[in-house]
Formats: sequence, C-alpha cells, structure tokens
Amino acid sequence: MFAYILRRVAATIPVMAVVALFVFSLLYIAPGDPAAIIAGDQASPADIERIRISLGLDRPFLVRFGSWVWDVLNGDLGTSIFTNLPVTHMIAQRIQPTLSLMAITLAISLTIAIPLGVVAAWKQGTMIDRVAMVFSTLGFSVPVFVVGYVLAYVFALSLDWVPVQGYTPIEQGVVPWFLNLILPSIALGLIYMALIARITRATMLEVLSQDYVRTARAKGAGQRAILFVHALKNAAVPIVTIVGIGFASLIGGAVVTESVFAIPGLGRLTVDAILRRDYPVIQGVVLMFSFVYVLVNLAVDLLYTLFDPRIRY
Amino acid sequence: MSSWLFAQYPEAPALADVLPPRKARGKVAMFIHRYPTIVIGGVLLALVLGMAIFAPFLWTVDPTALAPAKRTRPPSELYWFGTDMLGRDIYSRVIFGTRVSLMVGFAVAALSSVVGLFIGLCAGFIRWLDTVVMRVMDGLMSIPSILLAIAFMALLGASVQNVVIAISIAEIPRVARLVRGVVLSLREQAYVEAAIASGTRVPLIIWRHILPNTLAPMIVQATFICASAMLAEATLSFIGAGTPPTIPSWGNIMAEGRALWQVKPFIVFFPAVFLSLTVLAVNLLGDGLRDALDPRLAKRI
Repeated sequence: MFAYILRRVAATIPVMAVVALFVFSLLYIAPGDPAAIIAGDQASPADIERIRISLGLDRPFLVRFGSWVWDVLNGDLGTSIFTNLPVTHMIAQRIQPTLSLMAITLAISLTIAIPLGVVAAWKQGTMIDRVAMVFSTLGFSVPVFVVGYVLAYVFALSLDWVPVQGYTPIEQGVVPWFLNLILPSIALGLIYMALIARITRATMLEVLSQDYVRTARAKGAGQRAILFVHALKNAAVPIVTIVGIGFASLIGGAVVTESVFAIPGLGRLTVDAILRRDYPVIQGVVLMFSFVYVLVNLAVDLLYTLFDPRIRY
Repeated sequence: MSSWLFAQYPEAPALADVLPPRKARGKVAMFIHRYPTIVIGGVLLALVLGMAIFAPFLWTVDPTALAPAKRTRPPSELYWFGTDMLGRDIYSRVIFGTRVSLMVGFAVAALSSVVGLFIGLCAGFIRWLDTVVMRVMDGLMSIPSILLAIAFMALLGASVQNVVIAISIAEIPRVARLVRGVVLSLREQAYVEAAIASGTRVPLIIWRHILPNTLAPMIVQATFICASAMLAEATLSFIGAGTPPTIPSWGNIMAEGRALWQVKPFIVFFPAVFLSLTVLAVNLLGDGLRDALDPRLAKRI
C-alpha cells in the first residue's frame, strides 16, 4: 500500500518536469526583453546589459531553467510586468472565488450526474434513458459561456431569483455567496455532468450484467441496494477516473465562466493578463492550474485502492 | 412422439399461411433507420458547410461594413439578426463566421491527426523512444487544453493560423496515445508477427497492417477533435485570445456583444445558436460513426 502511494507520487515528478519546462519556455521565448522593460525608456544599451547580467538573463537556458525551478520550489513565481506585484501574491488574492466556484460545481455535478447515469442505466432504453443521453450530448455541444448567458438571462434578469453577476466573499455570509455562484456553477458544470453521466451509465450497464448482480437479485436484495451498493461501488473506478480527467474542463471553463459572470477569480486574472501581455502572470496561472490538475489525478489514483483493493501496481 | 401427452390441451389456432410482409426498406431508408445520428449530424453539417461556401450569395452584405447611424438595431426585415454596436449586419457576420469555425475545426482535426499519427507510430515502433515521448505527451496532457492554447496564443499573437496551431498542440497527445495503443496491441497479433518473420520492412507493415486498423478509431477521434476545436476557437475568441477581432467569427461576435448582453441579448444569441448546432452536428456524426465503425464500443459509451 505504502509502496504503491510512493510509486504513484514519484510518477508525477516527470510529468511535472515536462509541465515546468514547457511553462518556462513560454516565458523564455516570449517577445519583449525584461531587462529593457525594467530599465525604462531612457536607459542606454550598457545599462540594459548591466541589468540583464544582474538578473542573470545572460546565462544559458538550462541554468536559467534550474534557477527558475528553484525559485518556484521556494514559492516565488516572479513579478507581474504590469502591477509589479509578486505573482504568488496576485494568485492568492484571486484564489477564493475560483476555489468556491469549483467546489460548488463539483458538488452539484456529482449529485446530479451520478444518480442520472445510474437511473439511465437501470432504465436502459426507456424515455428517461433517452432524455438523459440527449441532455448529455447537448452538454457536450453548447459552450460554457452560452449556457451561462442563457441561465443568467432567464433566472437573474427575467425571474430575478439570483444576482446577475459578481461575487460575494464567503465571509459576508454563506447564502449570498452561494446565490452568486449557483448559476456560474451550473453553467460550468454542464459539460462535466454530461461526461460523468455518460461514463456512469456505460459502466453501470456493464456491471449490471455481471453474475454477482444476478446473485444479489436472486437473494432478494432491493433494487436500490443492488444499484447503489452492489453495482455502483464496482463501477466506481471508471467514474472516479473521468471525474479526475474531466477536471481539466472545469479549469478551462472557469476562465470563461468568470468572464461571463464577472467573478474576480483566477480566470479573470488570466484574461486580464492575456490582454496586457503579462507573461509572468500567465505563466504562474498555467503552472498552478496544471499542478492542481496533476494533484487531482494523483488523488484519483490513490482513491482506486479504496474502491478496488485488488489494485496494486 | 407420444401424442397423448398433449391431448388434454385445446388445439392451437392455426398459423396464418403467410406472415404479414416485412416492410421493405430501400438502401437509403435502411441506412437512415440504422444510423439516425450519422444522418442527422451529416445533414446539419452539410447545411453549415453550404452556408460557409455560399456565404456571399445568401443575401448577405459586407460583414465588416460599418454603419454608425444604425447601431444595435433589433432583428427586423432589413437586418434579420439585427446590427451590432458598430452597425454591422449580424446576419452577414454570422454567415461569414461559419467559415472561420469550420476552417479551424477541420484544420485542427487534420493537423492533430497527422502529427499525432506520426508520433504515435514512432512511439509504438521505436522502443527507446516510447517512454520519452509518452512522458512528454503526459506532461502536455496535464496542462488543461484551453490554458495551453491561451499560453500559445499569448505568445504567438492573434491569427487564425495560430489558433489552429495552439489548439492542435493541445489535441496531438490524445491522438498519439490512441495510435500508440493500437500499435502496441497490433504488434502482438499473429499476422503482424508473420509479416515480421517473413522479412517485411517496417514501412510496409505500417502501411499494410497498422494504418488500416488505426483508421476507424482515428476518424471517430478526429470528429470529436473537430467539435472541441470549434468550441475552443469560440472560447479563445470570446476571451480575446483567438481570431483577430477584424475577422468575423462566432466567438468574436459574442465577445463584442458581451458588454451589451443584458440589454441586447440577440447579439450573443444568434452566433451562440449557430455554434451550438454546428458542434452538435459534428458530435452526432462522431457518435454515429463510432457506433457504425466499432460495434463493440457502441454499447460501452
């Protein structure tokens, strides 16, 4: 068990190294000389050269990469070109809305998608199944921001049930915080739900045809017990896998959702950074999100052993 | 057999001499009946394709023509989809925007398939390359694809060509993995081993045995890549990191309508409907092709 965890954690290191190398190259080949930017308009070429040496920009690629990795490991992601604030500081300022959005989306998606997939598999071929699958195909096809606008138009502008846009920090009350995030979460979660519901249905169909399910039926287990105890637990591994892989769509979608609903989170930070060509910030956000994504999938891998004790790599 | 056993039962009603004739279906009707999603998706996609090709003849005007006096007009007989904040005709912009979406979708599908196929074949056939290449692919795949595209766009600058490259880079690892998986499983097949044993050169093995087997899953994969590329293009344009704003694309029209969506929702609405329908068409086509090309998979997903 312990060896498995250790091996799995070690396996993420090369992946993270590739990510880091890519993200670093992004800044390395980005147009614009940081030394010239820092030196200002009045600087002579000699001044720029001095600053370049003092920043260590004259060193070879791999040396710079090494020292950059060292900085990152020490929690230093560089300084924004635009605001002159440390990138870690900017990320920390913006992280709460994004985390809240993702947490609510995850909660809503799982509570809707998994039962939906289970019921669709149980009632395979019926109207419920068809409707669920049409819903899931639609979820794949309608872009996040379109869903966002439709939801906001209907439930916020027309019906006036929830605020249209903006974000209320959780410190100012859980209810306004939740009300502000409910529409963005549904919009963001739709494609995620579609994905999870499909995989749940497919896996459940497979599991429900197994002998032990027939045995459970034969011994008189209730329908609910068969579905949720016998079948769902055995279908858990593929479902958890897709929950982890699909997390990428949550991260990508958050960038757009935050723009639609004017949520001051990391997505807004990314969009602003693109418009200002603030490469260190783009780099920091991409690195952080990728790191989160790798960690989520590591957690998923470790969860496997919980659902299926046979898994030992 | 002893007939007394059944004697106590009344005689069963005689079967009709002739069963009612099975409804005869023509080849076309049969195809529609068997693969409804391919037909629906294909017809929709053909319509959209027609729109892209014949855009100038579909009663459109110059999609970039400004008319400052006629800003944000609601849909009317003259302006079918209304006008945007610069007075441009949204109908014409949406119809011409079809071109960008389809171009990006098809180009990304083609580019990532070709490059992914090449990488996958190399990884599958060259042992020492396999681990290295696959680690790199894993690394690329662990960067959420939209973020990867955003990073590239920030670097490369806005142009349709760069959008295609940026989205392709995010999709290539998925194709490469698929192809590598097929290659690894095929290499163990008896007929491939026989070909190796009889001294067939690797390029010929690839051409004769490997490629035909990767074709079906790759076509299916390419359709889904096409759909997600169109969504990605719209997303990138929407956040201002995609197609340059001078080119009418669905994402750009929506990005421009963003500021006004509460008062003039039609600006966002029309391109959104076209985008969603087009992506839906490609997804349906992909679903149908998957069921048709690989019946074993049909039940599973």
